[in-house]
Amino acid sequence: LGAGQSIQQTYDLTRYLEHQLRTLAGTYLNYLGPPFNEPDFNPPRLARAERVPSATVDLDLWRGLTDNARLAANYRAYSRLLCYLRVLDGQVGTAELRHRLTHFCASLQGLVLSIGGVMSSLGYPLPAGPAGPPTPPSTPAAPNDFLKKMDDFWLLKELQTWLWRSAKDFNRLKKKVPPAVVTLRLEARGF
Amino acid sequence: GLVQSCGHIIPESPVLALGSNFTALCILNESCLDFGNIYASQIIWKIKNRLVPKEQYREINRTVSSVTFNDTSALATPLTCNILADGQIEQNIYGITVTVGLPPEKPKNLSCIVHQVSRFTYVMTCTWNPGRHTFLDTQFKLRYSWPEEIFPDCIPKDVNNSCTITDIQFFVNTEIWVEATNALGQAESDPLVVDPIDIVKPLSPQNVSVSSGVLPTVLKLSWENWISDAVMTLKFNIRYRIVGDTNWMEVPSEDTASPRTSFSVQGLRPYTEYVFSIRCMKEDGEGYWSDWSEEKTGITPED
Repeated sequence: LGAGQSIQQTYDLTRYLEHQLRTLAGTYLNYLGPPFNEPDFNPPRLARAERVPSATVDLDLWRGLTDNARLAANYRAYSRLLCYLRVLDGQVGTAELRHRLTHFCASLQGLVLSIGGVMSSLGYPLPAGPAGPPTPPSTPAAPNDFLKKMDDFWLLKELQTWLWRSAKDFNRLKKKVPPAVVTLRLEARGF
Repeated sequence: GLVQSCGHIIPESPVLALGSNFTALCILNESCLDFGNIYASQIIWKIKNRLVPKEQYREINRTVSSVTFNDTSALATPLTCNILADGQIEQNIYGITVTVGLPPEKPKNLSCIVHQVSRFTYVMTCTWNPGRHTFLDTQFKLRYSWPEEIFPDCIPKDVNNSCTITDIQFFVNTEIWVEATNALGQAESDPLVVDPIDIVKPLSPQNVSVSSGVLPTVLKLSWENWISDAVMTLKFNIRYRIVGDTNWMEVPSEDTASPRTSFSVQGLRPYTEYVFSIRCMKEDGEGYWSDWSEEKTGITPED
């Protein structure tokens, strides 16, 4: 797959994940119940939430990164977010929500794979560590149900922000890749 | 009776390739030799009670007789080992079932299509040519994977040439292939590498409506697209005919080659009832046209 196509595909996947997460997060927050599903619920970020890769970054700093560094940051973030999400997936009580979470996890795994594909096609090394999602760092389980739900809330919130910014990252990267590398999507694609 | 389980045949229940050669051994128990005064030389081989020509026998030793078939096509079930002791009636020693068939051929012409079945649900149906009849119980599996991620196999139900996968992931190149396995071997199709988003047949445009305005030669079509822009953007074909007429006319495809939920058809005859139908597909031309939508009629204003 040429770099251009690989970036285009990763961009499409990121937007598709954003689309999926929009409805999935709404359903999940309803599953958590009030206050988590109230539109104006905007809690402070607790220390516990630091485990999840924060999407809050200094935009100038972020823009100033090299493409390689920015892709690697995306790769690491989604690898970690994926494994937290899989923990979530294992605990959900309703079959329908679990099915949608499992589907979303597979899509997110596809994004990690795609970002890896973009890095390889641009000649960048993958970040160290197993390609699959790392095992979640051993952090103490939430001491109570409210804090457990707060963890879930922040996970989804951070994921939405990561996806929103990644779509912009890949859209910018798409434009930076020399046209010669951008091949028509109609061509047969190798693997 | 005279002979009670006095021997056995090996191999026990062979599965043999059609057209190959095959040798079976009938081995008599030593205990029976002394008691029944029987020897391997007295063994008679039968297929379905039909005598096997003696030329195909060979006495290996006192207790073992072999029979050889140069072409298994002549074989059938059961193959039996029998004894015709002196002055006695013929007795059966042992019998085996023989299954003759063919190893699976390489499945060919693998192709897949993703059907949108509802607003948010897509299924991917793959079909293939299973190859020649094998005369054996042959299992087919549709397999698909990404690097480092193998998904659950799709096991066809009641057929051997298609399977439907219900959990599809878009925007990741997926390797898809078919595996055929039976007792005589295994074969794999060539892999198909595709991004499922590029083989979608979307649902046809929904809730089509026709409205007239001021101009007597124009009718406006409106509809809903049940596929999100985040999944794909669409292009359209619009066809129309005068009620009672059989010839369809089509709006030039370049006029409807971009995402939209309405279109004004021009150049119509005033005060005439028209039938309209629309279909859609992925804007970049990858994938399949949807079915034509439900037909809807409208009448142009008087001139």
